[in-house]
Amino acid sequence: MNDLRLTERDLDNRTARMTARKVQVHYGQNHALKDVDVDILDKTVTAFIGPSGCGKSTFLRCLNRMNDTIAACRVEGQITLEGEDIYDRRVDPVQLRAKVGMVFQKPNPFPKSIYDNVAYGPRIHGLARNRAELDEVVEKSLRRAALWAEVKDRLHAPGTGLSGGQQQRLCIARAVATEPEVLLMDEPCSALDPIATAQVEELIDELRENFSVVIVTHSMQQAARVSQKTAFFHMGHLVEHGDTAQIFTNPRDPRTESYITGRIG
Amino acid sequence: MTPAAPASSLLVPDARTQARNRAEARFRLYGLAAVSAAILMLAVLMGSILSNGLSAFRQSYITIPVTLDAATLDKAGTRDPSGLRQVSATAYGKLIARNLQAALAAKGIATDGLKPKDIAALLSEDAGARLRNMVLADPGLIGRTIDADLLASGRVDGFLKGRVTEESAAKDSKIKPAQLTLVSAMKGAGMIGLRLNPAFLTAPDASEKRPEAAGLGVAIIGSAYMMIVVLALSLPIGVAAAVYLEEFAPRNRFTDLIEVNISNLAAVPSIVFGILGLAAFINFAHLPRSAPLVGGLVLTLMTLPRIIIPARAALKAVPPSIRDAALGIGASRMQTVLHHVLPLAAPGILTGMIIGLAQALGETAPLLLIGMVAFVRDYPGLPPAGLADPATALPVQIYNWTQRADPAFVERASGAIIVLLVFLMLMNGAAILLRRRFERRW
Repeated sequence: MNDLRLTERDLDNRTARMTARKVQVHYGQNHALKDVDVDILDKTVTAFIGPSGCGKSTFLRCLNRMNDTIAACRVEGQITLEGEDIYDRRVDPVQLRAKVGMVFQKPNPFPKSIYDNVAYGPRIHGLARNRAELDEVVEKSLRRAALWAEVKDRLHAPGTGLSGGQQQRLCIARAVATEPEVLLMDEPCSALDPIATAQVEELIDELRENFSVVIVTHSMQQAARVSQKTAFFHMGHLVEHGDTAQIFTNPRDPRTESYITGRIG
Repeated sequence: MTPAAPASSLLVPDARTQARNRAEARFRLYGLAAVSAAILMLAVLMGSILSNGLSAFRQSYITIPVTLDAATLDKAGTRDPSGLRQVSATAYGKLIARNLQAALAAKGIATDGLKPKDIAALLSEDAGARLRNMVLADPGLIGRTIDADLLASGRVDGFLKGRVTEESAAKDSKIKPAQLTLVSAMKGAGMIGLRLNPAFLTAPDASEKRPEAAGLGVAIIGSAYMMIVVLALSLPIGVAAAVYLEEFAPRNRFTDLIEVNISNLAAVPSIVFGILGLAAFINFAHLPRSAPLVGGLVLTLMTLPRIIIPARAALKAVPPSIRDAALGIGASRMQTVLHHVLPLAAPGILTGMIIGLAQALGETAPLLLIGMVAFVRDYPGLPPAGLADPATALPVQIYNWTQRADPAFVERASGAIIVLLVFLMLMNGAAILLRRRFERRW
């Protein structure tokens, strides 16, 4: 995609899949996130940018309650998925995470076969009734992750034997296999070379047709290339949130301008 | 401060560099010396054990034709097993002694100056009992003349192995030099010789007077039963404890306390576990003494901390990204552990388990306290009921034999050490193999 055509992107008013209101996150005494309000729109790529330690990854991990595994972490405020509060006592995080998938910074395929990697999610959530259905889900997921052509002849080879970029796309296939509504990506390209990065970015744009995607990135170029909405975090505050074109061409906050022009961060 | 020499050349090392190089060479020498000393001691240890113990796997047998006289062995002539059983091992011993004299006479070997009793003393007291067992197993032998291999006495065995000499016999109440002369003559006639002795691994222990008949059968079974108990208890309990502490337990004072206690328990002397076992299992729970079941329970207590610690280390070594990946697609914590973490940690856990078992196999002190030091001649029954039968264990049998006066038991004890070491090496080899085989990259 061409950075120069930022303003031409279509940004009709889509419905919000997830909303966050007044989200506060504490790690013990440390107040890591302050008053974050963000809407994650349907079939849209939302990028979180900001300097290291600004809280963007923390916020991402709030969206599927991965922070639950950290004992000292406390989340306040309201985050909803399809209007339902995901921090409600009745919500089982296991079910939530099937609807809000996640791809991590470092490719982390299970040390199992490619097939088993993708089939794991559908298996534990009972999404396939028989072997044929499971085969179908695996193929569909691998096609969506643009990996099918490369691995269709070696589905039973170990997933850890793939190249870094292929591993990351395998992880994406694994995440989309459970048909999530939202796909969270925590710096998915930071461990990849430029060619693999380009492939994954292209893939993210294709995934937008079916999923809402939230991507945390350190690369402002990447945010500009793949996203329609951008949120800029700084020191635990959500400084600015809006259309990617507006953030990069006409930021309202001086801190945003300093960051995207490279003066801070 | 001296200024650096202006004409310093790279080709000539300066004094400082030379001193540093010398220190380095010295340090390497110390290390080499330490390793050499260790290897030397190991070689001396293995050498002494092997030279003392290998001969235990061979035993002297006197081969003579024995006429199984029906008039002596089966007076009723009915071959009725209960009737045959009434003939004692002593009667068989006398029968053999008569046959031995006859055989010597047939070969023309002079027995001047030796009483019949002295000639009979060349045979083990166990020879009659073994022949009796043979006949009871196959009553058809009665009335026939068979070529029997008869166990020679411990002193005769020692003479053939070079342990007993004419000089030592002169001072020994149990053997006379004239008997040794007779043995030499018999050896010349091919009537006596050393051969492989599987009975050393299968026979039960024998009394002080019959070192030649003593074997490790009961001890090996007892040790195997204890290992079954230890494995069956400590693997599930140890893995469950490690998984809970590593994956589920909250970090608080209580779990810290447990952690400290496990680390300390691994360092508690094993005899303390023996006292605990005596108090808890025998005095309080009234479990039988000398039983592999109780031995296994005590060794389980001792082994648990030594399994939990490496199991936790193996779980900790599984990269967190695997847990993230599983949780991220909606696996529950238990699914994460069972499907991903545990299989990846399994080689480490199994290695720790086998090393723990090997330690338990070689443990003596706690077993002494729960009565496994007893003299046991009967094989324990099949498990599970046999687990409560009296038995001994390999290391205790070694300890036992080293306590006995007859020098023939030194050879037995060394032979038993070889057996124990072979078992330990097999277990450690299995641990290495498992680690190699199931090690995974991620």
